[in-house]
Amino acid sequence: MGAKYRKYQSKSEIILRNIVVAAMIIYFTVFLIIPIIIAFAGSFHNWNPLSGTYDFLGLENYKDVFSSGLFGTSMINTIIFSVVVIIFRVGLGLGIACALNSVLVKHKTFFRAVYYMPVVTPMVAVAFVWKFMYNPQIGTINQIFGLDVNWLMNPKTALIAVMIMTIWKDFGYAVVMYIAGLYSLPSDVMEAAKIDGATSWQTFRYITLPLLKPMTLFVVITSIISYIQAYVQILIMTEGGPGTSTYLASYIIYDEAFVKYNFGYASALSFVLFVITAVLTWMSFRVSGDEEA
Amino acid sequence: MPKKLNSVILNVILLVMGVITVYPFIWMILSSFKQNQEIMALDQKLLPEQFTIQNYINMNERFDFMRFFFNSVIVTIVVTILVIYTSTICGFVLSKYKFRGRNLLFGFILSTMMIPWCVTIIPKYTMIQSFGWLDSYKALIIPAMFSGFGIFMMKQHISKIPDEVIEAARIDGASEFRIFHQIIFPMSKNSIASIAIFQFLWTWEDYLWPYLVINTKEKQLLAVGLKMFNGQYSTDYGALFAATAVSIVPVLIIYLFFQKQFIAGIASSAVKG
Amino acid sequence: MRKRFLALTMSALMAASTITGCSGGGDKAANKDVVAPTEPFGDTIVYDPSVEVNNGEDITIELWEWGSDDLFQQIIDVYTAMHPNVTINLVNNPWEDYWTKLPLALDGENGPALFNIHNSYHENIINYLAPLDIPIEDLEADFNGVSAHVIDDKMYYIDYGMMTGSVYYNKDMWEAAGLTEEDIPKTWDELIEVAKKLTIKDGDTIIQAGLNFNDDFHQNYLLGLNYQLGENLFKEDGKTPNVNSEVMQQIMQMLVDMYHEDGIGSENFGEKSSDSFGQGQSAMVIQWGHYYNTLKTTWTNIDFGVFEIPTFTEETPYAYNRYNGESTFGINKNASAEQQAVAQDFVKYFLASDEAQVAFNIAMSTFPAKKSLATNEEILANPSMAILADHIDRYIWPGPMPATVENSLKKAGQDVFYNGVEIKTALDNAQAQIIKDMKNSSFESVESLYTYASEK
Repeated sequence: MGAKYRKYQSKSEIILRNIVVAAMIIYFTVFLIIPIIIAFAGSFHNWNPLSGTYDFLGLENYKDVFSSGLFGTSMINTIIFSVVVIIFRVGLGLGIACALNSVLVKHKTFFRAVYYMPVVTPMVAVAFVWKFMYNPQIGTINQIFGLDVNWLMNPKTALIAVMIMTIWKDFGYAVVMYIAGLYSLPSDVMEAAKIDGATSWQTFRYITLPLLKPMTLFVVITSIISYIQAYVQILIMTEGGPGTSTYLASYIIYDEAFVKYNFGYASALSFVLFVITAVLTWMSFRVSGDEEA
Repeated sequence: MPKKLNSVILNVILLVMGVITVYPFIWMILSSFKQNQEIMALDQKLLPEQFTIQNYINMNERFDFMRFFFNSVIVTIVVTILVIYTSTICGFVLSKYKFRGRNLLFGFILSTMMIPWCVTIIPKYTMIQSFGWLDSYKALIIPAMFSGFGIFMMKQHISKIPDEVIEAARIDGASEFRIFHQIIFPMSKNSIASIAIFQFLWTWEDYLWPYLVINTKEKQLLAVGLKMFNGQYSTDYGALFAATAVSIVPVLIIYLFFQKQFIAGIASSAVKG
Repeated sequence: MRKRFLALTMSALMAASTITGCSGGGDKAANKDVVAPTEPFGDTIVYDPSVEVNNGEDITIELWEWGSDDLFQQIIDVYTAMHPNVTINLVNNPWEDYWTKLPLALDGENGPALFNIHNSYHENIINYLAPLDIPIEDLEADFNGVSAHVIDDKMYYIDYGMMTGSVYYNKDMWEAAGLTEEDIPKTWDELIEVAKKLTIKDGDTIIQAGLNFNDDFHQNYLLGLNYQLGENLFKEDGKTPNVNSEVMQQIMQMLVDMYHEDGIGSENFGEKSSDSFGQGQSAMVIQWGHYYNTLKTTWTNIDFGVFEIPTFTEETPYAYNRYNGESTFGINKNASAEQQAVAQDFVKYFLASDEAQVAFNIAMSTFPAKKSLATNEEILANPSMAILADHIDRYIWPGPMPATVENSLKKAGQDVFYNGVEIKTALDNAQAQIIKDMKNSSFESVESLYTYASEK
């Protein structure tokens, strides 16, 4: 690292720096570090705030997490869910952003606004609407495609159905992100490629795509963080069913914490999930070969 | 010729995607003018058979909608403005000042974004309770004043403002506070717009925290009202859809107004040129 | 920027106000002309309106509830008419999140003095309750099912009404199938025969189901029919669940056979039985009392009748079904002494007043626990209650079961119907899950307090 210190620091610089750094430290200590420490300590206890139970258990909760078959299943589901949704989010986002960037398309602003609409709509409402659309008898989806599938009750289709809904809700975010990415590409490079006679595919493959890598990384990382914490769609659409086939890791945490009030166990799950998120995020940085955030 | 064909194909694809995106909204908004019986009817029609605005009236009767709406607008705007300010100033300090522990602090702030919310919400509640902030907007505003995401975005953006600009101002004898307010802040307009849009949306939709800390009905927020329709034995879909339709309007307006700056802001923050 | 924000806010507000027609408030004005009773009323528990509350000084308390504001406001208005010095603020909450917020609020100093209780969340709130001042003998003299609520010789809340499951049938379909009142089934075999007549198929595709139990078989069948076969939900110790017994397997098998052998419905037809009946897709459903209100408010087009749940044989069973109580209000033990005194007085008024009891039972479609109301005309005018009147004593309450019992059996049923799991395995899993979740629970079954417990 070896940060270079400027020799002269004005008084006002020191004052501003100290105020801001102190404010940050106080804020993050009070509203994040302390609660996290409390929760971390709680993860070693049988902790139920309602009955006032707080008994030391040692590593019991963590042992339970790793021996629980349900956590295993839900972790696999979470990974499938995140990977598939992220691939589609990135793919659709990139594709549509490029299309919208093309000179061949009119009404760009209109499309941009349309695709962004689901992003700003509360998940609760969206999940209810889609639950209606998936209804085997009265749902739009079966009616339009002439199918007879019990989407949310068939273990083969339930998770897919939830993923489709999530992709629908979120791809607009990636579209806007990639439009921003394309907007900031250096136009001279693109011009040069054109003059050199590169086909549009070659330009895309060898110039646009690599230049968009930081944006892709940004989208992927924010997606990992938010999908690992996703549970509202499960709560409303399937409640983890049929059986336990659509349990996601965060849904178990929600269920343990706010339905069963096993706060100790829920905290242990949260920390395991936090570690997994951190590892995945770090891996994304690695894969992209970009060491610095 | 192939260019024309490409254009047609491209436009058709975009249009199809657009229809898929919009259809659920159309269904939802039209359903908000139906009776619940018709929303769930076996024989589904897109247009309401019996047009009714009863859902909008019910929504208003179940909770004092306009008051909730206004409360939400105020809280959201205050939080958004505060977050914009703190993110920009923290971003400035973290990118332009060099001091020991800077990277550690920044790394920590980044990692806060990964903490699942359910871990901290109960300890946070107990803390707010012991501060005596329950049932006041302090509990909504103060814990939301800083945003890890906002600081991250602003740091990325401000680090691209050339040091020379700041040095020149310093030579002119400007204090750091002035430099920040009169140079950095105006130069960050686009990034501010993008943070504004994200933060406005998050605060606007946040449900569980306001519900937990606010008791008095007169102070409650809109997102909490949306949940009232999910009853013990059944959900009042019509009123839920009506309330949702109305509640997304402000966020959409904010987005439409700042769209251009939003995109430019993301461009300057997230992509390193 | 600031100007722009202001403009935005204004336009957003205007948009919203045109949509909603901008009416706000104005909901409390309607109940001004309430007549306050002046004479003492009640049976054993007597309420005397002339006794001052809080020495006649002004006091304000909060009452938290979910659901129906009008219902609660109605009794508050009568009470405040008797005691103008008392103000009761009603706070409405969304049902699901009520149980997250209430215990947190009760833990502090500013929690509500009075709050509505649902016994499925008994364990979350029992530590915050103050016992009732009313002697237990007096409660027992006036109400049914009181003894099951006694905890260490104290009474924290009781049931004002009992809710249970009955069969709702579509009268038009009934007629179209050539059935009459005479055909109302008494046994499960008869019900299946009737259901076959009510089922309409196009080839293999069901057009109309004779019986639908999708999405609530756990609540309405698995956790109730065991009593008809003489078995409790919990073993002798009152703590160990008994959900993987042979009787339970027999019930689950009956459900599977109803769909797969008798073909009177399908797990993929009408994903929620309560909606499917309302949509006119299914001819019969078993639903709990609250469904009566759903039909009256949402599904007004359906002409329906109600009959009592069938049994396995013609003989009187150990119990017809499980019931659950709608509970009286809780009193916050952390509230100030003055507030608690008002809350105690309010609960006493609620228990003594027949009007309040009838209003609450009708609104919730529950059978009154108050003994003197069993023959009340208003109550018996509701068919879903009238059919229970004959042997309401043959319904059993297992106590405030933790939610995991229902949830685990729901998962078991889904595993059997949708995931192809063996009945025995699915029920064994449910049994194990319930045991695990109840490890720290203080729940103890009160099945042994049932009047006919010795017949088992």
